Amino acid sequence: MDEAAGDLKQALPNVCDNIPIHVEVHQKSSSAARKEDIRMSVLKLLNRHNIVFGDYKWTEFDDGFLNSNVQSVSIVDTELKLKDRQPIDLSKSSLSLHIFHLNEEGPSAENLEEENEDIIAASHWVLPAAEFHGLWESLIYDTEVKSHLLDYVTTTLLFSDKNVDGNLISWNRVVLLHGPPGTGKTSLCKALAQKLTIRLSYRYRYGQLIEINSHSLFSKWFSESGKLVTKMFQKIQELIDDKDALVFVLIDEVESLTAARSAFKAGTEPSDAIRVVNAVLTQIDQIKRYPNVVILTTSNITEKIDMAFVDRADIKQYIGPPSTAAIFRIYLSCLEELMKCQIIYPRQQLLTLRELEMIGFVENNVSRLSLVLKEISRRSEGLSGRVLRKLPFLAHALYIQSPSVTMTMFLQALSLAVDKQFEERKKLADRV
Amino acid sequence: MMPRGGGHSNSSRPPFAGQKMAAHGVAAAPTRAASPTSPLLIAEVPPALDRSGGIRSRRNGPAAACPSVSVVFPGTVSRESCCRFACEFLKHILHQRHQLPLPYEQLVYFCRRPTQDGDVIKKPPSMDLASKKCQQVLTELEGVLRHLEVMFSLTLVPRVLILLGGNVMSPKELYELNLEGICEGSAEESLKTGSCVRKLFHSLFVADVFSELKALPVMGTVVMLQGHRDCGVDWFRPKLNYKVPTRGRKLTVNLSCNGDINISASPLQRMTSTWEDYVWFQAPVTLKGFHE
Repeated sequence: MDEAAGDLKQALPNVCDNIPIHVEVHQKSSSAARKEDIRMSVLKLLNRHNIVFGDYKWTEFDDGFLNSNVQSVSIVDTELKLKDRQPIDLSKSSLSLHIFHLNEEGPSAENLEEENEDIIAASHWVLPAAEFHGLWESLIYDTEVKSHLLDYVTTTLLFSDKNVDGNLISWNRVVLLHGPPGTGKTSLCKALAQKLTIRLSYRYRYGQLIEINSHSLFSKWFSESGKLVTKMFQKIQELIDDKDALVFVLIDEVESLTAARSAFKAGTEPSDAIRVVNAVLTQIDQIKRYPNVVILTTSNITEKIDMAFVDRADIKQYIGPPSTAAIFRIYLSCLEELMKCQIIYPRQQLLTLRELEMIGFVENNVSRLSLVLKEISRRSEGLSGRVLRKLPFLAHALYIQSPSVTMTMFLQALSLAVDKQFEERKKLADRV
Repeated sequence: MMPRGGGHSNSSRPPFAGQKMAAHGVAAAPTRAASPTSPLLIAEVPPALDRSGGIRSRRNGPAAACPSVSVVFPGTVSRESCCRFACEFLKHILHQRHQLPLPYEQLVYFCRRPTQDGDVIKKPPSMDLASKKCQQVLTELEGVLRHLEVMFSLTLVPRVLILLGGNVMSPKELYELNLEGICEGSAEESLKTGSCVRKLFHSLFVADVFSELKALPVMGTVVMLQGHRDCGVDWFRPKLNYKVPTRGRKLTVNLSCNGDINISASPLQRMTSTWEDYVWFQAPVTLKGFHE
C-alpha cells in the first residue's frame, strides 16, 4: 500500500503546479540597479534552476550582475502552502518577485510634546528594517499561524480594493495575539510587518512600524491620559495619510491600555483609566477606515482585556508553547547556526523529524545524533520559545567553554542545560 | 565666513504664492526660474522624480506650512559652488535649528584648538563630556561634508534634503535645496563661489525663515541627495523607494540662474530626458546634535 502511494507520487511529481511561489530578492544596500534589470536577471536564474525542493536560498551567483547587486534570492514560505517538501516546478507555478532594500538605521523615537516635557511615546521603524531580517524564518509554530495571518491581510486588501461596503461587512484591521510569555508574540508581530512590507512592495513604497509604549500614555495629571492617547493616534493618522506607506501599529501588552471596564465597577481602577480605554476604542474605530493600516496587539492576560476591544479584533490567535516537533525544529535551526559559525565542528548532517519518520526512527550512523536531539526535544516540552533559543547559549556557557566542540559533546551539554532549566524552575516554584 | 543673523527686518518677506508658482516652473523646465510658467507644466514632471508628494503638500497645507525661498544667480554657477551651497546650508541649519551651540566654524575653532596649540586647559568633568560630544559631532559632520564633495564631483546633484528629527520618511523638519534650476558652467566662466554663497544667505536672512521657529531639542539630522544611479558613489546608500515626505515643517530653497547664459551650457536641461536615472541617496550617518 505504501509502495503504491510512493509510485503514485513518483508518477505525479508536481501535485500542486499552480501554487503561488514568492521569491524574495534582497538587493545589496550599495546597489542602485533598476528593479526591472534585477527582475530579468533573477528570472533567468530561476529558469536555469527550475526545480526546487521547498524553500531555497541563493547567495552566490554565476551571473556578475547579480553578484554585484543582489545579496540573496530566496524562495520562501512554500511550507506554509505545501505540507510536505516536494519538488516544485518553478516554470509552471506563478512566481511573484519581491525586490527590496533593507533600512539599516534603528528605531527613532516618536515624541509627544506635553507642556514642557517630552514623552517618548513610541518607537518607530522604517520597514523593511535590517533589524527584523530573518525574524520571520526564525519563528516556528505548529499550527498555520503564519499563513493565517498572511492570508488575513491579503483578504483585507482584497476587500479594500473591491470597495466592499464597510457598513455591511465590517473588518477592523485589528489582530490580537495572546498566549503565555516567551512564545514570540511580539516578534511575530514585527516579523509580520516586515513580511507584509516586502510582499506588498508593489503597491506600498515602504512600511512604518510604530510600537506604542503603553505605559507612557498615562499622564501624571488626572484626566490627561485620554488626551495623550488621542495625541498619539493623531501622529499615527499623519503617517496613514501617506498613501504610499503601509502602517503597522504595534501595541504590546494591550491589556494595560484596554483593561476591562467592568473592573472599574468594583472601584479598584481610577476613572482616568476608563477614559484611556474609551479613547483607544474610538481611535481604533477612526483609523479602521483607511486601507493602509494594520493594528497588531499582543497580550498575556486575555481575560483582563475589555470585551469591546476583543470584539474589535478580527483575528484572536492563541500562541501556545511549542510542541516536541516545533522544539525539534527550533533546536535544529540553532545547531545549524552554530555549525555555520564553526562553534560546532566538524559539520554533521542532522535529519529533520520528517526524514526520521520516513526511516521509521531506526537507529543507524546517520540518524543517531538526530534521535538524541529528538529525545532532548521531548524532554524540553513545556519550555517557551524564548527559553529554547537561549539554551544552546547556556549549554555552551555552563558546560563547554571551548571555542569549538563536536556535535556529540554539544548535545550532551544541551541535555544537561535542559535538566538544569527544569531544576531551576522547580526551585522557584518551591520558594513561592 | 558665515553672515550672522541679527538686524534683519520682518517686513521684507517674499510673496509666497508667486514664488511657489516659480518653484513648479523650475521643476518642470529648469531654464528660467523667474519667468512665470503655466501650472499645466506640473503634469509634465517625470513621475520618477516623486513630485507628487511635494505638490500635494503645497496644495493641501496652509501656505505658511511650507515656505520657499528663491535665489536667482545672474549667470552660470560651477559644480564646486553647488557643493559649497549644500555644505554651507547644512552647517547653517544645524546651528539655526539648535543642533550645534555655535556656528560650525567657531565650534571648530574652539573645539579643535587645544590639540593644535598643545596648551592643556583643565576643564571640569561636565565640560569633558560636552567636548567629547562636540568632537564626535564635528568628526561626523566633517565626514559628511567631505563625502558631499566626493558626491558632487561624481554626479550632478539636482536636489539635497536635510532632515531633522523623526526618521527619513517622516522627519520633524525638512529643508530642501533645489538645484534643478542651476545652469552649470565651468569654473572659469561661472560666477565666483563667494559671491553666490553671500547671495544665498542674504536671501535666507531677508526671507527670515528661522526666527519664528521655536527651539528644538537635540535630535538626529540626516542628509539625502539625488544623484545619478550609476555615479559609483559607495559611501551614500541608494534609496530607490524614497519619496520626499509631506509630513513635518518644510522649507524649500530654489536656486536658479538667469541673465546672459548660453543655453548649451546648461547640463541640467539636457539631462531632463534621463531624469529617472536620478535616484535618492542617503548618508549612512545620523548627525546627533548637542547642547552645551
